[in-house]
Amino acid sequence: MTSVEGILFAAALFCCSLATGGYLISLLVRRVALAKISTWILAAGFILLALNLLFAAVHWTDWSSFGSRHFLSIYAWVIAGIYLGLQLKTKTRLLGAFIAPFILLFLIAAAGQGSDRNLVPSQWQGGLTTLHLVLAIAGEALFVLASAAGAMFLIQNNLLKNKKPGPLGRLLPSLGDLDQINHFGLLWGFPLLTLGMIGGAVYAAFVWGGSWPADPKVVWSFAVWVFYGFLLHQRLAIGWKGSRMAVLSCLGLIAFLLSALGIRFCLATVHNFI
Amino acid sequence: MKEAMIGLVGLNHKTAPLAVRERLFAGCQEQANLLADLKAIDGVLEILHLSTCNRVELVASLEDAPRALGELESFLARYGGLADEEAAACLYTYRDREAIRHLFRVTSSLDSLVMGEAQILGQVKDAYRLALAQNATGVVLNRLMHRAFRAAKRVRTETGIAANPVSVSFAAVELAKKIFGTLAGRKILIIGAGEMAELTCTHLVGNGAEDITVVNRSPAQARLLAEKFHGAAVGLEALDEALCDVDIVISSTGAPTYVVTGEMVRRCLRKRKNRLLFLVDIAVPRDIDPAADEVENVYLYNIDHLQDIVDENIKNRRREALKAEAIIEEEVANYTNWLKELEAVPTIVSLRSKAEGIVRTEMEKASGWMENLENADREKVEALVHGIVNKVLHAPVAVMKEESAEFASQDIVAAARQLFRLDD
Repeated sequence: MTSVEGILFAAALFCCSLATGGYLISLLVRRVALAKISTWILAAGFILLALNLLFAAVHWTDWSSFGSRHFLSIYAWVIAGIYLGLQLKTKTRLLGAFIAPFILLFLIAAAGQGSDRNLVPSQWQGGLTTLHLVLAIAGEALFVLASAAGAMFLIQNNLLKNKKPGPLGRLLPSLGDLDQINHFGLLWGFPLLTLGMIGGAVYAAFVWGGSWPADPKVVWSFAVWVFYGFLLHQRLAIGWKGSRMAVLSCLGLIAFLLSALGIRFCLATVHNFI
Repeated sequence: MKEAMIGLVGLNHKTAPLAVRERLFAGCQEQANLLADLKAIDGVLEILHLSTCNRVELVASLEDAPRALGELESFLARYGGLADEEAAACLYTYRDREAIRHLFRVTSSLDSLVMGEAQILGQVKDAYRLALAQNATGVVLNRLMHRAFRAAKRVRTETGIAANPVSVSFAAVELAKKIFGTLAGRKILIIGAGEMAELTCTHLVGNGAEDITVVNRSPAQARLLAEKFHGAAVGLEALDEALCDVDIVISSTGAPTYVVTGEMVRRCLRKRKNRLLFLVDIAVPRDIDPAADEVENVYLYNIDHLQDIVDENIKNRRREALKAEAIIEEEVANYTNWLKELEAVPTIVSLRSKAEGIVRTEMEKASGWMENLENADREKVEALVHGIVNKVLHAPVAVMKEESAEFASQDIVAAARQLFRLDD
């Protein structure tokens, strides 16, 4: 990693920490103005991270320089981008208090990945792998968004059901808006993840032919995909809405994160860059 | 020298019963050139008249204040047809700082019946506009009113005094917004026909809701209410069907039992495809079975729930009012400083110009021998003279300014005028 890249990354990390802190404090002191400032700071972090990735891409020589740091940075960048894009359309600044910690988590994890190990073996490197990675990351990022909206929905729902709307309820977005964000996340996240997985599968078929190694990540990703597919189906066809969707999306995200960590540290996998 | 003094005479909902306020309001309305008459009173320099259903106030810039204030009081008593003891009980009189504070508090809605209401600011602005159009105000009141509007704006933006609804119908609208986000295009069902239901519906429509359906035991009444909102009227038997279609239900019938049961709500939820449903039950005894609240995505609020929210908001407003009072104090201090300096300013100006006049005359007298001096030396002498004069004047000017901030400049100013013979 060059020094310019390092400075850009550090600056992005700094902005993101600041924004996360700002969002959380705005939730505590119940002031929207602080959340608005945090959104701008996060936008600055997003741009810095984009520059960092651009810089890395310009100095791209071969796959050997693609490391976990890049992978996790892209993850954080996509989530931040989707969140900021959403801010242009809706005024749900407080969603940041739930999304920003995730972004920060990914960036801190990225910072922890010091060495630029060659994580993608040379025989797998190519355009299809890139496509597989980018689509899968974008799909998962949208699920994170859907779940964060779900978590906020549950809090707001709880306040309203207990007849205590209060200052916190006033600060949180309305149930209708949150449900729509959840809908949006599932609706776009699912096809992206599907395409990403197809990309991976097609590629695996070329490399390994008919018989794939029973990679835990593949198995688990498939399970997550089926679960979210089920949610989307219930939502579109059966008309599940509101609190039930919120609970299930949250459970889905927790299971997904736990398994990702578990597989990363306990099991051997070919997807060992997260 | 004219001394500007602010005075305020008036009565409000706290001091005067409705009958008195009505009389005074009508008396003032009938009078076409009220402001001209008021301004004709001896000692009244500038005047403004505010009249709303809750208060009548006269704000004036006066000279010889005690007498002029008495005149204003008897003027109001005359127009309201108040007997002496009635006038003594109802009317209040404020001077200077108290008058300014009272006006700022009124404009900021701290003195209103419903604290934080937005109407009063508009009413004060109208009153000022009228006074301005009739040339009844001048430097002192113009600045006073602008400061009052500024104080009101600060109170509104810097405190939460007007933030949360303090009426049941507005509380319901606020909740609807928290549930649905935007109310545009939302469908409303009114069951029964109460005044409160109608008021709530009006507010909802004002926020974008449309498509109103009215259900009533009496079809004629249902039609009457439906027509008001350009909605549809249906019989009680169509209630089940209507429940499946709407987003917000407002119920206020006189029925002794539940009109909407939990089972009805549960049944319709499937047909609604789980869309959120907001039920407002403002009837006593209740119209909607509390069991409906247990259904997913259904939010039921009865009159007690809404009243609790309103009570909580009123408590909040009282807390915010403390912050508002601090803002008012700041603005009052700001204005009085300006006003009082205004009192000393003409004297300071004439003192300075007198000193400059003396310097000019003496320099001219000395011009004969000064011609012999080098240019540089002449400039030095001039600088010396100006320096001495400024040093000598510095203390009296500073004292006048200081005292004026304390409302005590009258004597000092008078003394200065006498000592320096400024009025000759």
